[in-house]
Amino acid sequence: MNFRELLENNEFVFLDGGMGTMLQERGLEIGGIPEELNIKNSKMIEEIHREYVEAGANILYTNTFGANRFKLENIDYSVDEIIKSAISNAKKATYGTKTLVAQDIGPIGQLLEPTGTLSFNEAYDVFKEQVIAGEDSDLIILETMTDLYELKAGLLAVKENSNKPVICTMTFEENLRTFTGCEISSMALTLEGLGADAIGLNCSLGPKELEPVVAELSRWTRLPIVIKPNAGLPDPETNMYNVTPSEFSQYMKNLVKYGVKIFGGCCGTTPDFIRETIKALSDVKHVKLSPEIPAAVCSPNKTVIINQPRIIGERINPTGKKVFKEALLKNDIDYILGQAIEQTGAGAEILDVNVGLPGIDEEKMMISAVKAIQGITDAPLQIDSTIPEVLESALRIYNGKPIVNSVNGEEKSLKAVLPLVKKYGASVVGLTLDENGIPKKAEDRFAIAKRILDRALELGIPKENVFIDCLTLTASAEQDGVMETLNALNRVKNELGLKTVLGVSNISFGLPNRELINSNFLTMAMTMGLDLPIINPNISAMAGAVRSYRLLTGSDKNSLEFIAEYGGDTPKTIAKITSKADITLDYAIENGLKNDGARITEKLLEETDSMIIVNEMLIPALDKAGDEFEKGKIFLPQLIQAASVAQACFEVIKANLAKNSAEQISKGKIILATVKGDIHDIGKNIVKVLLENYGYDVIDLGRDVDYQVVVNSAIENDVHLIGLSALMTTTLISMENTIKLIHENNIDCKIMVGGAVLTPEYAMKIGADFYAKDAKESCDIAKKVLG
Amino acid sequence: MILERLRINEAIRYLGYGNHTPDNNILKLLKDSEKELLKVIKPKYVYKIFDILEIDMNNNIVTLLGCSMKLVGKDIVNHLTGCQRVVVMACTASNEVDKLLRITQVKDMTKAVVMDSLASASVEQICDNAQEEILSEIEDYYSTWRFSCGYGDFPIESQNMFIDVLDAPKRIGLNATTSHLLVPTKSVTAVFGLSKNKLEKKRLGCESCNMKEKCNFRKKGERCEF
Repeated sequence: MNFRELLENNEFVFLDGGMGTMLQERGLEIGGIPEELNIKNSKMIEEIHREYVEAGANILYTNTFGANRFKLENIDYSVDEIIKSAISNAKKATYGTKTLVAQDIGPIGQLLEPTGTLSFNEAYDVFKEQVIAGEDSDLIILETMTDLYELKAGLLAVKENSNKPVICTMTFEENLRTFTGCEISSMALTLEGLGADAIGLNCSLGPKELEPVVAELSRWTRLPIVIKPNAGLPDPETNMYNVTPSEFSQYMKNLVKYGVKIFGGCCGTTPDFIRETIKALSDVKHVKLSPEIPAAVCSPNKTVIINQPRIIGERINPTGKKVFKEALLKNDIDYILGQAIEQTGAGAEILDVNVGLPGIDEEKMMISAVKAIQGITDAPLQIDSTIPEVLESALRIYNGKPIVNSVNGEEKSLKAVLPLVKKYGASVVGLTLDENGIPKKAEDRFAIAKRILDRALELGIPKENVFIDCLTLTASAEQDGVMETLNALNRVKNELGLKTVLGVSNISFGLPNRELINSNFLTMAMTMGLDLPIINPNISAMAGAVRSYRLLTGSDKNSLEFIAEYGGDTPKTIAKITSKADITLDYAIENGLKNDGARITEKLLEETDSMIIVNEMLIPALDKAGDEFEKGKIFLPQLIQAASVAQACFEVIKANLAKNSAEQISKGKIILATVKGDIHDIGKNIVKVLLENYGYDVIDLGRDVDYQVVVNSAIENDVHLIGLSALMTTTLISMENTIKLIHENNIDCKIMVGGAVLTPEYAMKIGADFYAKDAKESCDIAKKVLG
Repeated sequence: MILERLRINEAIRYLGYGNHTPDNNILKLLKDSEKELLKVIKPKYVYKIFDILEIDMNNNIVTLLGCSMKLVGKDIVNHLTGCQRVVVMACTASNEVDKLLRITQVKDMTKAVVMDSLASASVEQICDNAQEEILSEIEDYYSTWRFSCGYGDFPIESQNMFIDVLDAPKRIGLNATTSHLLVPTKSVTAVFGLSKNKLEKKRLGCESCNMKEKCNFRKKGERCEF
């Protein structure tokens, strides 16, 4: 019997109950390592397994919840030894029965980026090692996950290193989210796309409290649903759980109506719980629900259902933008993050991400951009590249279900892109063009759309994951083409039943008053059935057209969204900050007036050379703030506030220089990094703001930075000053190691260090050239070293 | 547990203002930060109570009944002397706070600095509330103040054991990295002792503090709670 037959031949499938509970009853200390017992006391483990077989479990979980290289670091056995012996224990207990043995894999115990330090690829490797060690099991379980990203790493590791069925269960709270904020819809959309064989819930709560969670899950998946709840909640003194086997079984029976197929027990449950549950379910039938899954994309914390026009922000794209190109060349991720935040603030619900630029490593940049953007926004992303390798790398590390932009009707494109869409469970934009270019007529574009859909369906990509872009042509050049686009869109929507995408802004190219054309075209397109307009949401007429449309078509029930946006006393979108005309740059910097600072700089630039503004106005004002900070007259927040105004002024100057194709101001390059193992980077970021305002180019390597990365970056960029930060005593050793490696590589550069637990003496001892007690002093050091 | 206000004065102290009052700009940032933080903070805590099996004064080890974790160090031994039981606890303001801090750092660094202090203050507040809630469940015992990893000679490396003993990843989503840092970052682990007899309030003071050479409070002639 295999897992599939088990599902087909049985009304319900039963898993085992708790392992930890049984071990603690037999004397395992709290905090002890249960996996060791697979070898040290294999008889006891086998015995517990046998009790579950006798209780009627169809599937046993091996005693390998924490059998990974991190959690087993301090014991005498390897991951491979522990997992092999655990499977062997379970197999002995099932000998002569039809019970299957599932290799149990729990969370690694290290949080992934961006909150933690473990990278996606490292997580994948940890899981891969476990999967390979577990070759003798019948199926694999990934359970008790709270981070969808970690679960994705695990699921990919299973799919790519075995051909066994895999069950994925996550742990939800009563607010219908996991600890990391993951929604049930996001879990279902992502895992089904990646090819899980059954999904569900385990741990955290009892079966009674989990009812709303199961109910929600049943609306989002066609896969068999699994539930493995706790025996209620534990008592902190006695460690006993508060639900009895018979209560447990009745609550479980109550969950049958949500289509649950697979039942088991987690913490606090024993063979009695399983026995009672089997008994309670013996007189009921499995309820087969076949929910219709809507077209939707997601990040872990946000699902965007495409049931009304949803705005895709187009601004993360260097095409035609000098400052953006500059930022890409300098690896300035913060600039991209700023674009992300601005667009979501203006109403974008999905963000297109395109970082293609000659002269940069697009794949590497795409990976860091996607990771960084996902760290600061919940908006799902549309991964935009013409290179399949770039798409695949981004799809791999994306957390959730993204859109791929794009495939087209060309054979080469269909062959390269659609298999990726299928493997990673994404949605895809299909462009209605092929080897012969963009057809003039609507019917020909429709035919290409149909071809793309058919190919997608052949590969097993569900219809709701295919979006079609009928392509906007420029009205000034091809006026007749406008209606062809819209007619094609309308047919795709109505006859193929697919969601539609359209890049809108192109329509007005070469015409005056583009905003007027764009917003009208957008409204026409929505009326014809456009679901996903790709626009610049920062232009209020564009986001406004979408909001009005939603109100007028009744999607925005009771106009709530519209009123929230425009109904205040001073509508956000037309608010202009008016201030006194006579204030000086000095005054603006001292008082934290960012907008005024930028405005005054703009005015000054009309008559004053930018270098004069920098050297004779901005820097002296910053020096003054620094002095006052040193003397204790102002405090850290004010110092940064002054720097932030100066930063706004610099932005204006930079944009001006870019416009005039003049060379950018740079007083030299400085590398900043928070050392390996350390994740507290606010100190480093403060230093960065200040240094940038003195005109230095800061290469920010981020936090938890590998020693070698610092060295490589110093060599590649020919850098002569490196700043390292560490907050904790435990990470000072990393600082020392980084410095050692820099010296071993004979890099001609000075090193400054800072951080809460450092002292000047210690800084010298570990080989630093300078100790900076605060951000102000790091600027003084930079002046000394670089001028 | 629901927080209705955050300790703005505490955050001002963390920011190094001493007796000075921040200007209106910064006060506004504090108030705005408070509002935003209150929306995302989800206070969570988990605890377990153990009987003390042995306090070994010679080797400075406290052994707990049925618990794999040993509490090691002169200071923790002093702290728990006279106690019969120990509460092991962990608190977190949750993952969303880290995210809000990341976002704010991109948007407005000044606000991020202010918010970071306020978020740190919020964890202490969560710990205080948690301790109060825990004690309200325990009758007939006096309690010591909270003692955390990294205080005195109580090693920060113990952090990971706290996480294991409390099953903190499963119960409240709290983890420790291989360099013994807690993630989400706005989190605390601690122990406090329980005694049938009244305890004298013991403070360790600056002499046994790791930070004494560096401490900003000390430089200003102030003291923390240590």
